[in-house]
Amino acid sequence: MTAITSLPRRAARFGGPTYDERNALVLIAPLATVLFAVAVFPILYSFYISLYGLKLTRPHRVPFVGLENYVTVLTDPQFWEAVGRTAAFSVMSVAAVAVIALLAALLLNEEFPGRRVLSAVLLVPWAIPYVANALMWKWIYDSNYGALNGLLYQLDFINSYMVWLGDADKTLALIANAFVWKEVPLAVILLLVGLKTIPADLYAAAKVDGANALQRFLHVTLPALKSSFALVIVYETMMAIRHFDLFFILTEGGPGDASHVVAWRIYVETFRNLNFGLGAAMSYILALATLALAYAVIRALAQRI
Amino acid sequence: MAGPSMADPTAAARAVRQARIRSRAGRVGRGLILLVASLVFLGYTLAPVVWLVSSSLQNEREIVSKPPHWIPHEPTLENFAAIFTAREKTVTYETRRAADPASGGFIPSTASNLLPALGNSLIVACAVVVLNLLVGVPSAYAMAKIRFRGRSASIYGILATRVIPDIALVVPFFLFIRNLGLLDSLWSLIITYLAVTVPFSVFILVSYFESLPDELDKAARVDGCSRWQTMTKVYVPLALPSLVAVMLFAFLASWNEFLLALMFTQTPKSQTLPIIVASFTSDFTISFSFINAAGVLAIVPPVLLALIFERYIVSGLTAGAVKG
Amino acid sequence: MARITFKAVTKRYAGDVVAVRDLDLEIFDKEFVVLLGPSGCGKSTTLNMIAGLEEVTEGELWFDDEIVNTLPPHRRDVAMVFQSYALYPHKSVYENIAFGLRMRRVAAEEIDRRVRDAAAKLEISHLLQRRPSQLSGGQRQRVALGRAMVRQPAVFLMDEPLSNLDAALRISMRAEIKHLHTAMQTTFVYVTHDQAEALTLADRIVVMNDGVIQQIGAPDDIYERPRNTFVASFLGNPPINYLDGTIEGADGAVSFRRGGMRVALPPALAARLRGSPGREVKLGIRPEDVSRHGLGAETPAMEGIVDTVLPVGSDRFLGLKVEGCDVFVRVDKQAHHREGEPVRLALVPERLHVFDKASGLSLLADGAP
Ligand SMILES: Nc1ncnc2c1ncn2[C@@H]1O[C@H](COP(=O)(O)OP(=O)(O)O)[C@@H](O)[C@H]1O
Ligand SMILES: [Mg+2]
Repeated sequence: MTAITSLPRRAARFGGPTYDERNALVLIAPLATVLFAVAVFPILYSFYISLYGLKLTRPHRVPFVGLENYVTVLTDPQFWEAVGRTAAFSVMSVAAVAVIALLAALLLNEEFPGRRVLSAVLLVPWAIPYVANALMWKWIYDSNYGALNGLLYQLDFINSYMVWLGDADKTLALIANAFVWKEVPLAVILLLVGLKTIPADLYAAAKVDGANALQRFLHVTLPALKSSFALVIVYETMMAIRHFDLFFILTEGGPGDASHVVAWRIYVETFRNLNFGLGAAMSYILALATLALAYAVIRALAQRI
Repeated sequence: MAGPSMADPTAAARAVRQARIRSRAGRVGRGLILLVASLVFLGYTLAPVVWLVSSSLQNEREIVSKPPHWIPHEPTLENFAAIFTAREKTVTYETRRAADPASGGFIPSTASNLLPALGNSLIVACAVVVLNLLVGVPSAYAMAKIRFRGRSASIYGILATRVIPDIALVVPFFLFIRNLGLLDSLWSLIITYLAVTVPFSVFILVSYFESLPDELDKAARVDGCSRWQTMTKVYVPLALPSLVAVMLFAFLASWNEFLLALMFTQTPKSQTLPIIVASFTSDFTISFSFINAAGVLAIVPPVLLALIFERYIVSGLTAGAVKG
Repeated sequence: MARITFKAVTKRYAGDVVAVRDLDLEIFDKEFVVLLGPSGCGKSTTLNMIAGLEEVTEGELWFDDEIVNTLPPHRRDVAMVFQSYALYPHKSVYENIAFGLRMRRVAAEEIDRRVRDAAAKLEISHLLQRRPSQLSGGQRQRVALGRAMVRQPAVFLMDEPLSNLDAALRISMRAEIKHLHTAMQTTFVYVTHDQAEALTLADRIVVMNDGVIQQIGAPDDIYERPRNTFVASFLGNPPINYLDGTIEGADGAVSFRRGGMRVALPPALAARLRGSPGREVKLGIRPEDVSRHGLGAETPAMEGIVDTVLPVGSDRFLGLKVEGCDVFVRVDKQAHHREGEPVRLALVPERLHVFDKASGLSLLADGAP
């Protein structure tokens, strides 16, 4: 009897897996394998590559260069210009997404006939592929036959067709517009979640207290939306910083360097110059910056709430 | 509202009448604001897409008109016909030169790749959906209902893999896929898309499973279910709405993905629709109307899915928002 | 049909929450045992360990002659009824009841026979095709019972099965559960925080607090001979009254004293306390253990001022001030006391409880300090 009974005791004492933990392990194993192989490993491998001078143009000589790639990237003024463009693009985009999404969410939060149709329509931009979105806006912005020119011309805002994407002063804003158009729906849905959690009593109470519509919006609606807004801003910032598709299709970083953002730079360095080590170093810097940003925002919010 | 004294009947009546007018005016005003706002919203959201569809129905001659024909004067399906018959027609330099530029003849030589690419996109998306369920459901169940050391850490760990931008992963992905010898095969896309989509799937499923009572899990196990049976016989049937959401997200994400496909695919054997469509946009000789038709082709499946399953999508995204 | 034995069982949750500490308990075959205690004392944890839903951290759990520490629930012959009923929302009532049998590959005709049989006994035959969401709370409760019944398990576990029912239904279901136990001839382990339920249902009650067993015994035993102040307070409604005081007297009469109050202790207690005058104790008086009659010079008695009078149906409750303490007692309806009046009540000597003030342990129990 004592021989048998010592078994379970020992398992428990020394913190071996319990039978349910073994079950959990089996159920999670496939996910763990996939994520390890295709997420964790690449992330670590990326760091490893970034320490080497790996160039596909000379695949047989791969010198260890330590942090040299990082130094190269961080001391390159062009890199910092790209960072500036990424920042400008992100700030523009996120601000526009936040404002437009707030207005749309306020509209969709009202009860009126046709609301259902509008909320279905809302999903259209969300669902279409970025490539199709890019193609669509490229056609709209077209300097010869585009709808933007056509519309402005018909409305007499312009006397002759203009160059849009090809104009370095406008490029970033126009790309941001295409980005915003596709990102607004998700932001609206996230904000609607926040709006739905505001109890109707709160509005009634504010009304009784004599608050007008604007005051109710400022003192009831906006505070309640704080955490939804935070989510929207964190998520959209992350999306904007990493965005690639529109830059690839609309401008390829041009005209000149006008839309040469960090994501585009990584692509060019890696797949056009085939300088994998440098590309990996830049990727790592971007990833760390994203992580730091996400962490900072979340920390700041956690303290606030 | 401080009304007039009730002792004065005419004043009281006047106040009531004014209040009624004011409230009716308020109602009309609200209706008007909502109407205008709705129209602006519809215009903003739909106008670009409607314009894309409209121009895909115009021929080459019409599409270059200035100002544009917002509504096609001679609507035609020839652009779509060109896509679907591209296989039969061999497009050579001669046939392209021979075609009249004014009648929409600029069909790119790669047009015949569109349908295979559509097929590839479909295969990849469906495979990713199936694998998402196979990999995601068991782990989500375990994370929601089994207590094990490191459980909450693993949920955050899984989400954290998504904080890293895809562009930062393409280099190691590329080397990894190349070392497996999977470059230019659909598997390269299926594997990486799975890794990209499954964290969100698990996240949605975990929050859904967690919302179902623990006692259900206990009841099933006492009733004789192993962990696996508890999951398949009790939780999976109950989680149908979130499973639909997960399937949709995985499908749409795979269907729409561009960057990784750009890296891993090189030939029509494995190229997906976004790659082929994107390749058109950089070719200045291709007719706009044809490109727009290809764009419409890429848009239709995901938009239809989104409209049909709107409820599931919104609830899935909402679940993410509430927890995140 | 099984005997369940806990040998020095400890259950520790993640984060070092000790839910059950060093539990020794033997539940006999066909016995009806009730685990009783306040919320969070480890009752459900104990029950879940029997079911296999929670693993034993330390110690051994035996079913008859077999250690079942690592046996998963689906391999144990147990059935369970939950507080929330935990019916499968996507299955009909019939399928809910049949599910456990299907999982155990019982033949289809046998399943049908047992389901209809149980449904008839529980008077839910007309509900078999409904979904749980279409049932009332009481009906769901019956389905949950049916689901456990058809299994004819070796051990029948119930975790606060009546807590979600309204008061009237709760009392009638008590009788049905008692009846079920007689009919099923199997081991029942029942968890509740409701002492009235425990007292009506149990063959034996296990009183728990903070993961530790306080006392095991038959209902009367526990009620009349509580081993410590926790058990004494937990059972009884309204609860027992305590008066802090000291032991007095040496040779013949040993008595309890608080201020001007002196209560002569019965011989059994007196014998134990003879050697310790001055000892600090708590005198426990249950509300019903006082009487307006039989007041003689010799009988122990209590004097106080009436503070409140609460007529409650058949009885009358008095709140008294006795030597600066609040004491709540039950008297018969004929008593006409008014607030502010002095009152003198006889105490029944055999029904007095004396506890050590420091440890709270009863001085009546075996092995008392
Ligand atoms: N899964 C768990 N993780 C951590 N602590 C738990 C868990 N379940 C229960 N506990 C703790 O264990 C103790 C006993 O809980 P439980 O057995 O449910 O009590 P009861 O059923 O008597 O109300 C409580 O303090 C409770 O907080
Ligand atoms: Mg409990």
